[in-house]
Amino acid sequence: MNTTNDPGSERPARAALVAGWLLLGFSLPLGLTLEALHALKVDVYLGSAMRRELWTLAHAHGNLLGMLCLVFGLFAARLPEARAVARLGRVLVAGACLMPLGFLLGGVLNREGDPSPGILLVPLGGLLLLVALFGAAVLTLRKGRAGGGR
Amino acid sequence: MHPSLAFAAAALAAPLFVVTALHLGHDPAAHRAAAGLVHRNGGYVGAATCRTCHPDQHASWARTHHATMTQRPSPSTVLGEFDGRTVRYEGRQGRPFRDGERFVMEVPTSGVEGRGHRTAEVALAVGSRRYQQYFERQPRGDSFAFVRLPLLWHVEQRRWLHINTVFLGPDDPDWSSHAATWNENCIFCHNTAPEPRARATVGRAGEAAQFDSEVADLGIACESCHGPGGEHAEARRNPLARYGPEPGAKAVDPARLDPARSISVCGQCHGARLPNPPERAAEWFRTGPTYRPGDLLLDHVTPIQRDTPPLGGDPEQNQLRFWGDGTARLSAYELQGVLASPCHPKGGMTCLHCHTMHAGDPHGQLRPDLPGDRLCTQCHEAIARDVQKHTHHDPARSGASCLDCHMPRVVYGVLEIHRSHRVENPDPARDAAAGRPNACTLCHTDQTLTWAAAKLGEWWGPKYRTVERRADGAPLELPDAIASLHAGDAAVRAVYAAALGRDTAAVDPAATAAQRAHLAVAMGDGYPSVRWLAQRSLQRLEARAPLGIDLLLRVLDWQAGTEDRRRAVFTTLDAIAKAGPGRLGPPPSTALLGADLRLDLPAVVKLTDLQGRNLISIGE
Repeated sequence: MNTTNDPGSERPARAALVAGWLLLGFSLPLGLTLEALHALKVDVYLGSAMRRELWTLAHAHGNLLGMLCLVFGLFAARLPEARAVARLGRVLVAGACLMPLGFLLGGVLNREGDPSPGILLVPLGGLLLLVALFGAAVLTLRKGRAGGGR
Repeated sequence: MHPSLAFAAAALAAPLFVVTALHLGHDPAAHRAAAGLVHRNGGYVGAATCRTCHPDQHASWARTHHATMTQRPSPSTVLGEFDGRTVRYEGRQGRPFRDGERFVMEVPTSGVEGRGHRTAEVALAVGSRRYQQYFERQPRGDSFAFVRLPLLWHVEQRRWLHINTVFLGPDDPDWSSHAATWNENCIFCHNTAPEPRARATVGRAGEAAQFDSEVADLGIACESCHGPGGEHAEARRNPLARYGPEPGAKAVDPARLDPARSISVCGQCHGARLPNPPERAAEWFRTGPTYRPGDLLLDHVTPIQRDTPPLGGDPEQNQLRFWGDGTARLSAYELQGVLASPCHPKGGMTCLHCHTMHAGDPHGQLRPDLPGDRLCTQCHEAIARDVQKHTHHDPARSGASCLDCHMPRVVYGVLEIHRSHRVENPDPARDAAAGRPNACTLCHTDQTLTWAAAKLGEWWGPKYRTVERRADGAPLELPDAIASLHAGDAAVRAVYAAALGRDTAAVDPAATAAQRAHLAVAMGDGYPSVRWLAQRSLQRLEARAPLGIDLLLRVLDWQAGTEDRRRAVFTTLDAIAKAGPGRLGPPPSTALLGADLRLDLPAVVKLTDLQGRNLISIGE
């Protein structure tokens, strides 16, 4: 995996892989739990449209971002500048965890028309993901340019 | 941590989190708001439980006025403008305003005397279509009662009204006249599965009646029509059972009941009634009505008729609620109308032949798949094939409408005139004898009852007798609408005040000089509800054939004091007389109006003097 000959670049890759698997490990059972609430017609869940939407979003974002972390973990070693990759990995993992967590907490003790304050984690997570995405794009393009000149 | 342990912990965290969060409660604000008023007795589970399996039906119900009939006050449920502006009536004043999150009314301390004021916090809002009434929560020892506040918000007029002005009664300076108690009145028909739980003798507000009232849902919710849903919901909670034949009790579908049971569902509220036998009234005030959807309503109650002795109070009070021939003249007597219609016993007609609870316009809730006269011609197909032959009116015009002849607007309720639900044929002689408005002259506002009887005799034969005399004693030569507007009792006057401005009337708006002048007089009526309907009709005529008096009509206040109203009448009459000639056609010679559009006031006063024989006051 490590094509940069930098042993330190394994650490961000592993952290992203762990976060990705844990996010999937949390989000997939969350989906099953929500399905069960539907099956059993649990009205404290089905009766709040806001909560249903938020928790469905938590489930969907948790799975997708978990997979994104796995992809990052698998390819991190191929990116140049190990220190920057490590920083990016931390930002990505934080964003990937905060976003579904925000949706999840937004549906706890929420009012009929508004999520609870936990929802504030969502824009924060989104911002971190944007930063990570931008950084990964820059690194990838930089590597491509360097490869082209070789 | 070992990877498999970490993964297992993450997987367990999700259901644990969900269960914990759900345990913390569902929508705590809504839960707190409803606490203390909601029961789960008798197998009732509430509309929120129904929503879990029937979201579409819940949504189609939630947009109706049934759903919003009784609500906790909040910015989304309160329609009135609590903006601190003063509302005056009969020399006294009130002031609705906001105090933070609270909706508050400053009202006189006592009904009639004194200048003191107190503040009352709104605890319940009742109604959402015509007007919204507000109730305060009054402690009664260790229990409580919700008592009606004197100011209500009228939705169409977008203004505050005094409660004394919306019934069929004369102006009344007593601000506490209609301070009714929710727990012994509104609770029965404006909520689901009401249990008033009266502790002591039930009486008027201010007396010591104590209640521990609860309902299954505030407003008229699913279980009002479909019956208690507990057993049904429990049986269907098992996902495997949901795909098999339904075990246990089924929810009642009113559309699948036989006609008598089907109309019972709506009739439990849309049909004023007494417990059967009447001695069970005390039980009603404790545990609520015993009728459940699917039952025969008449096994539980006796619909009130004109000759039904009341349980107490004015012995004539039930007579006043009906026209002389037994047709209801107040709303909430629709069941009586349907029971008296040949369409029900002969044709199996039910409410659901015309109305639907989960589709169409929430105003009236008529079936959208049967527009206009299709409601009637779904059964009366032969008439639909040749409308002209049956109606003797141009099929393209409103005169050929089934409803205007067979279900005329002769019913007063919530400051509006509604259709009678007794499907019948118009008969001027019958109506004159019964002192009730006639379907023909509600449209032909320039014609007499004698003319109407002659027309019907010409079309349908001698079974239509000629009119001998009017019940109010007014001359037969006068146009019925005008004579009734002045000489009838308040219910008649209200019906014709509304009819004279209706856009389906047979008279060209540009030929309504007489109608306008007489409506201007009715704006000075002693009954505020008549004044409002007269003013609205004048505004409607003005909109269709303008005289340039729209601004004047808009600023006139039908709740103003006597002197202001008198001035308003004469100002309006003058304005019509000045602006009318040349714009409005000449009035008929029998209309008590000269060619100069000046009223024959002595003749009008003679007519209004006849009201003295017909003074009535009807609450709702």
